[in-house]
Amino acid sequence: MNFNSRVVSITLCAAVLSWAQIGPSLAEPPAPPAQSAAPAPGAAPAAAEAAPAADAAPAASAAEAQAPDAKSLDQEVQGLKKDVVELNKDLFVLEEELLFPANTQVAVFLSMDVGTFFALDAVTIKIDNKEVANHLYTAREADALLKGGVQRIYLGNQKVGKHELVAFFTGKGTVERDYRRGATLVFEKGVGAKYLELKITDRVAKHQPEFLVKDWE
Amino acid sequence: MTGLADMLRTFKLGAVLLALPCALAFGANVKPDPNGLPPHPVKDLHYGDVLFYFYQDDYFQAITRLLAAQELHRVPNTEGEAELLLGGLYLSLGEHVEAGRIFDALLAANTTEPVRNRAWYYLGKVWYERGYLEESERALRKVSDKIDPRINAERYMLLAQLLMRQDRYDDAITLLRAWRGAPSWTAYANFNLGVSLVRLGRLDDAIPFLDSVGRIESRSEEFLALKDKANLALGFAFLQGKRAAEARPILERIRIEGPYSSKALLGVGWADASLGEFKRALVPWLALHKRNLLDAAVQESFLAVPYAFGELHADGQAADYYSSAIESFDAELQQIDASIEQIRSGNLLERLLGDDKRDTVTWYWQLQNLPDAPESRYLYALLASNDFQEGLKNYRVLNYMTRNLETWRDSLTAFDDIIDTKQKAYTERVPKADAVLASTDLDGLLRKRVDFESRINEIEQSNDVAALGTPEERATWVRLKDIEEYLAAHPDDPDLAEMREKHRLMKGVMYWKLSESFKARVWNERRSVKELAASLKETQRRTLQVQQARQSIPSDNGEYAARVSDVRDRIDRLHDRLATVSDDQSHFLQSLAVDELERQKDRIATYQVQARYALASIYDRAANQKPKATP
Repeated sequence: MNFNSRVVSITLCAAVLSWAQIGPSLAEPPAPPAQSAAPAPGAAPAAAEAAPAADAAPAASAAEAQAPDAKSLDQEVQGLKKDVVELNKDLFVLEEELLFPANTQVAVFLSMDVGTFFALDAVTIKIDNKEVANHLYTAREADALLKGGVQRIYLGNQKVGKHELVAFFTGKGTVERDYRRGATLVFEKGVGAKYLELKITDRVAKHQPEFLVKDWE
Repeated sequence: MTGLADMLRTFKLGAVLLALPCALAFGANVKPDPNGLPPHPVKDLHYGDVLFYFYQDDYFQAITRLLAAQELHRVPNTEGEAELLLGGLYLSLGEHVEAGRIFDALLAANTTEPVRNRAWYYLGKVWYERGYLEESERALRKVSDKIDPRINAERYMLLAQLLMRQDRYDDAITLLRAWRGAPSWTAYANFNLGVSLVRLGRLDDAIPFLDSVGRIESRSEEFLALKDKANLALGFAFLQGKRAAEARPILERIRIEGPYSSKALLGVGWADASLGEFKRALVPWLALHKRNLLDAAVQESFLAVPYAFGELHADGQAADYYSSAIESFDAELQQIDASIEQIRSGNLLERLLGDDKRDTVTWYWQLQNLPDAPESRYLYALLASNDFQEGLKNYRVLNYMTRNLETWRDSLTAFDDIIDTKQKAYTERVPKADAVLASTDLDGLLRKRVDFESRINEIEQSNDVAALGTPEERATWVRLKDIEEYLAAHPDDPDLAEMREKHRLMKGVMYWKLSESFKARVWNERRSVKELAASLKETQRRTLQVQQARQSIPSDNGEYAARVSDVRDRIDRLHDRLATVSDDQSHFLQSLAVDELERQKDRIATYQVQARYALASIYDRAANQKPKATP
């Protein structure tokens, strides 16, 4: 092998000897050759000498040359993101306390336990015969409920005293049958926040879903 | 067969974090339902609310709600799970420093080994991706082998990559040699082992490993690509080791339509050229010459082809190819210059994120499609690189956060209105409330209740049956008493004997009637007293509330106004910081792109100089030969 061809071969060698990344990175295109400096046949030997040194650098040398900047920038971004998350939390709390003070706050949550006998499509909630919430579920939301998520479906203000909550659940029962059921609870709103849970559970013995309302406080 | 990459893609952080709370929530005593999901009783409604968003990959909403729930003490029964989830959520937002702090604190405490392993593994992975190699190694080494084999295999590969990235090939070799895993992972391990050995100059030791990967039988595109890559690595290692004859058959294994075919064609050509077979070398090089000049291997072929013609003494053809190379390089250099200008104009990131769905943030977001722009073709490799992707994620999250703060800033005006309305309502209602409070003699009412109870006690003790009679009964009883007094005043009047007898009879009947209902009437009266007491207690409570509200509302409103003002200032400050850092991030990414283009430009410029030099040499040779030919 003559000198020039050796050099050109070496030039690409660094690129092809990059390690095997696992996962999605495999879908990436092959890395470009490292520092070129590949002399054409007949080029000056001085230029050729540079090639092996350049090979020693990994393929991503460009980004790594910027590494100190990238790291300090990343750290700055980290700090900034944390501050934004913290502020967002403060805003969230402030909004809730301002709009739904504890002495009038009523929150209704919806949970689904197992859900073998019922596929949820929609829920309507009435408090004292007035519709306060109506939600149509996306597949993603229904899935989140099945995995253990609990949806705060209503957050509002109610006066201290007795109230009646009625919830209507619509969806598909076993063998794709349309299903519509209701559940009722008379609850006493006290001075503190009131939390109610609408529970959809499987009644294994009857092979039917069960709809309950639980008063948490 | 499902591709390994597909498999991994589905096995994301979300899935593992989903397992984290479950691992805590469902101890060894709870058997999962084999026919479906296990039952999951809700322990804290607000924790479930966080999970509702978490399971929809809305990590920003989830982390906000979780932090709020923790501050408001709403997750008393899921404290440990919540903290672990918080660490995971920080991680998913790319907040690896905060996540590391939480995991460090949490994982030192009582967590189960599987949970610990998963948490450290994902922390290590994110740190690796962000280039925090020391931290990544520390985290990955904390993971024990008692973990899902799939995760464990990926962990070993990550560790090996990490060591190789630091040029610690000996360490990588030791690690990979000791590892035993599933066959699907062995190919990766063997490839990395082979590359590490080549890097240390131990080609003969590397051959079996790279060769075994290069002979894999598979239909999976992923493994076929790995197979090509192994053959390419081994082929070039042979070329580098001046073993051209061995290189050729290895390079010929590479698929002609695969992603590595250009490099393979170039390598096959060089193998032939090294053996003095220049005519044979022209076959792959000429095939390569027809391909897109963007590829570095194709660029080299623009020099290799005329070089081979030169070696074959076909100077005319060599000169033609060199001339054509110079022109092509020239055109390419102009296009790169135009692309650099485009990037410097600042539109690159906007174009990259043009079709991006902007309403969620997750650390596993990746740029899926490249914009149809001239610079894209040059930046393909850079845009797919880790550094650029991580920087782009940061830029994207910063943009999301900016929009989020702008939405909040709009809401603050509504908050101000609410506080004003509350204050106005307070001012209007205070006089009415004061009037009601002033007209209510609560103490007098309480005294009356005590007097009433004492009176009932007296009646019961004195057995005053008539006292609780109906008004008619009491009137009758009074008349009977009057008659009794009259009869007592005339004890010796014989005409009153019959009346005395009638009075005795009537009084007896009346007393019997009153006595008969006395106990029930006492009970009724006591119940009324109790009800009265309860009503008075409620009145007392409400009066107290009104009094407290009267005093606290002005200060509450003041406190809310102060909080709104505080958050408004913070929003403004953070908005400015976001703008600055976002600009910095944008410039950083632009500089990466420009640097990449400059490097390509330099390379092509070098090729161009070499082509010119070679062409000049041919002309010189021709010029020197001509006089000799002429007598």
